[in-house]
Amino acid sequence: MDFRLSEEQEKRRQQFFDVCRELEQHKPASLHSAMDAFETDSEEGIAYEQFCRKEFAKRGWLRLGWPPEYDGVGRMMDKVFFGEATGYYGIPGVDVLGVGMLAPMLLEEGSEETKKKFLPPIGKGEVLWCELWSEPNAGSDLASLAAAAVKKGDEYVINGQKTWTSFAHRADWGFGLFRTDPQGKKHRNLSFILVDMKTPGVTVKPLYYFDGKHFYNEVFLDDVRVPVENLVGEENKGWQVSQTLAAFERSSVGAVMSLHRQVEDLVKYCNETRVGGKLLAHDSVIRNRLAEAACEIEANRALAYHIADLQDRSEMAPFDASAIKVYTSELMERLAALALDILGTYSQVKTSRWAPQNGAWESNCHTCFIASIAMGTNEIQKNIIAWYGLGMPRPPKPVVTG
Amino acid sequence: MDTTFTEEQEMLRKSAADYLAKEMPEIKVREIEESESGLDVGFWKGMGELGWMGLVIPEDYDGMGMTFQDLSVILEEMGKNIAPGPFFCTVMEGSYPIMEVGSEEQKREFLPKIACGELVMSMALLEGDGIYEASDMKVKAEAKGEGYVINGTKVFVEQANNADYLICAARTSEGATAEEGITLFIVDAKTAGLSVEVMPTIGMEKLCEVTFRDVAVPKEKLLGKLDDGWSVVKEVVERGAIAKAVESLGAMEAIVPTTVDYLKQRVQYDQPCAQYQALQHILADMFIVMTASRYLVYEAVWMKSEGLACSKEIAMAKSQVNQAYKELSRLMIRMYGGNGTNREFKPGLYYRRAKAADVRYGATGFHRELVAREIGLA
Repeated sequence: MDFRLSEEQEKRRQQFFDVCRELEQHKPASLHSAMDAFETDSEEGIAYEQFCRKEFAKRGWLRLGWPPEYDGVGRMMDKVFFGEATGYYGIPGVDVLGVGMLAPMLLEEGSEETKKKFLPPIGKGEVLWCELWSEPNAGSDLASLAAAAVKKGDEYVINGQKTWTSFAHRADWGFGLFRTDPQGKKHRNLSFILVDMKTPGVTVKPLYYFDGKHFYNEVFLDDVRVPVENLVGEENKGWQVSQTLAAFERSSVGAVMSLHRQVEDLVKYCNETRVGGKLLAHDSVIRNRLAEAACEIEANRALAYHIADLQDRSEMAPFDASAIKVYTSELMERLAALALDILGTYSQVKTSRWAPQNGAWESNCHTCFIASIAMGTNEIQKNIIAWYGLGMPRPPKPVVTG
Repeated sequence: MDTTFTEEQEMLRKSAADYLAKEMPEIKVREIEESESGLDVGFWKGMGELGWMGLVIPEDYDGMGMTFQDLSVILEEMGKNIAPGPFFCTVMEGSYPIMEVGSEEQKREFLPKIACGELVMSMALLEGDGIYEASDMKVKAEAKGEGYVINGTKVFVEQANNADYLICAARTSEGATAEEGITLFIVDAKTAGLSVEVMPTIGMEKLCEVTFRDVAVPKEKLLGKLDDGWSVVKEVVERGAIAKAVESLGAMEAIVPTTVDYLKQRVQYDQPCAQYQALQHILADMFIVMTASRYLVYEAVWMKSEGLACSKEIAMAKSQVNQAYKELSRLMIRMYGGNGTNREFKPGLYYRRAKAADVRYGATGFHRELVAREIGLA
């Protein structure tokens, strides 16, 4: 056992942190998190995201861990360090769907033509992707989705509705699951297809988050024609392809560093703020709760490094990944609540001259739910742990009467 | 970076697990707990033959010269079986301080005997307030003739009833700060004036009150430097805290599969309880809490083993595990339903030990305050 990074790794990690610290200097004050950069009504947010994306692309950091034939840079661990740096400084510019999920999945499952066509623009930061996944009646039970792709000649004709589609309003492309065999059995009737979002028949409508922000969308597909070569993997085997993708979704080292930063910011705030003449840092309840959060984050970080270490050696432990997904996301919710408790009466103020730290914590208490619900809700993760990790038998399906 | 154990460590784990499965079944744990002495001679001798007590003692003193991390593998396995006895205090409180600050003569006298299981050792540290603070150290040692005389009362001294020697922290002078003026002595437990009474405690580990009435100690048994014993105590407490955390991690690793097995066997409404989703999610939560503690503990153990500064990491690991172990043992009782509160069943064993482990070498509040300072709170 040796938790030390090699000298070379330390150097690489430092480089990522240095660049992100520099980028933070240019961050508009209105951006509380990387998510905010995608709000349509924030011109400066969009401009900043594009600026950061270019900075990363020119250094090859959107191709970390890719093989040499696709102009790859560094190793898997570099991706971890880069994620830590962007997480810590809250820097946008890494397309979590294209760079984070689709690219590694294509590298494993895509045909040569698909890779040649789609990887370079992702690696150069020229495109943004979205995920055409959930539907109004297919959330946790994703495989019951209804949007259909019917093969006609050398095209698929897609009809249906997707929802909870993050950043669809800015995306150039979408990857999605569609039903290609109306008679086929569940999990064996879906195909993984790439859709150009500019195709006629694609309509994107905002789905506002509960604090009024716009990063989610509904996507309507009416007779959308997609060339058959946009199929990834085999027809009707899209579910298997999506499972490879899911494995890349749950690496959360970046999220841990963002939590680490939050505690640092709260410590600073408590060291500088007096309430009723008393320094917040001297309040024993605050000390205890902040220390508790720091311990949990450190535990989370140690586990995230272990998982990254296993991923680096292709020995991924799937149940540990589910465990860390639940732990990290619930920690996000707890820390958001703790911050509001510390801020007291002023915790309720949105970005304005009255808001402590420009309303960052008020904003955070909304966005903190994204991780526990997205990428398979925590309750689904607990099923995975119980059934496949602990070997507990799956409950029988309830009998529907009436 | 490598977050896995070496092949040798995995072999050590396997042999420890095999030995404990054979020699320390649940029935034996209960027998030892309820015995008057709390020490099983056969088990103790067996561990001596395997060299466990001498694992970290240098080869020059008949030990195996292995690392703290190697030892932690044994502690984790012992935690799984909640094996009672004087192993922990002999190694953590007896051998380490002698290895670290003992004179050559003291090392020659004690370490080989500890290594082969001939001596039971423990540390007499806590006093009236039961806190790990120098300000609470009031037991006095006064210079007299060729040695010292100790007077006062120590509490929560583990296995003092079985100990051959106790390392006693006593005040030898009033310094400018509470930390100054404390000295360690290796006291023969048979010395006249030393009396031991077992305290009835939740973990039934034979924590004792030790009373010193004019207990004479020759000056050769002064351990380390005069008036400078607190730094040694701090080290014992810090290393003890992470060792206790590893042991507790082991217990958690036993709680989860044991509870799953029970729920698989227990049938209600014509189906195994393991099939109810309400219970599955609680088990998943237990798995998550255990998993989320594990690498924090391993990392702190590794740092300590490498001699790196790790006060923060140890404080974090101990407080995290304190909470996790208590929570898991509480949920274990709930998952067993009524049987969880039945003395015949396993949950009570873990629940009682979790509480005992929690307060040993600093409860959660103590460690969180250390963390609060480490993360920069004014």
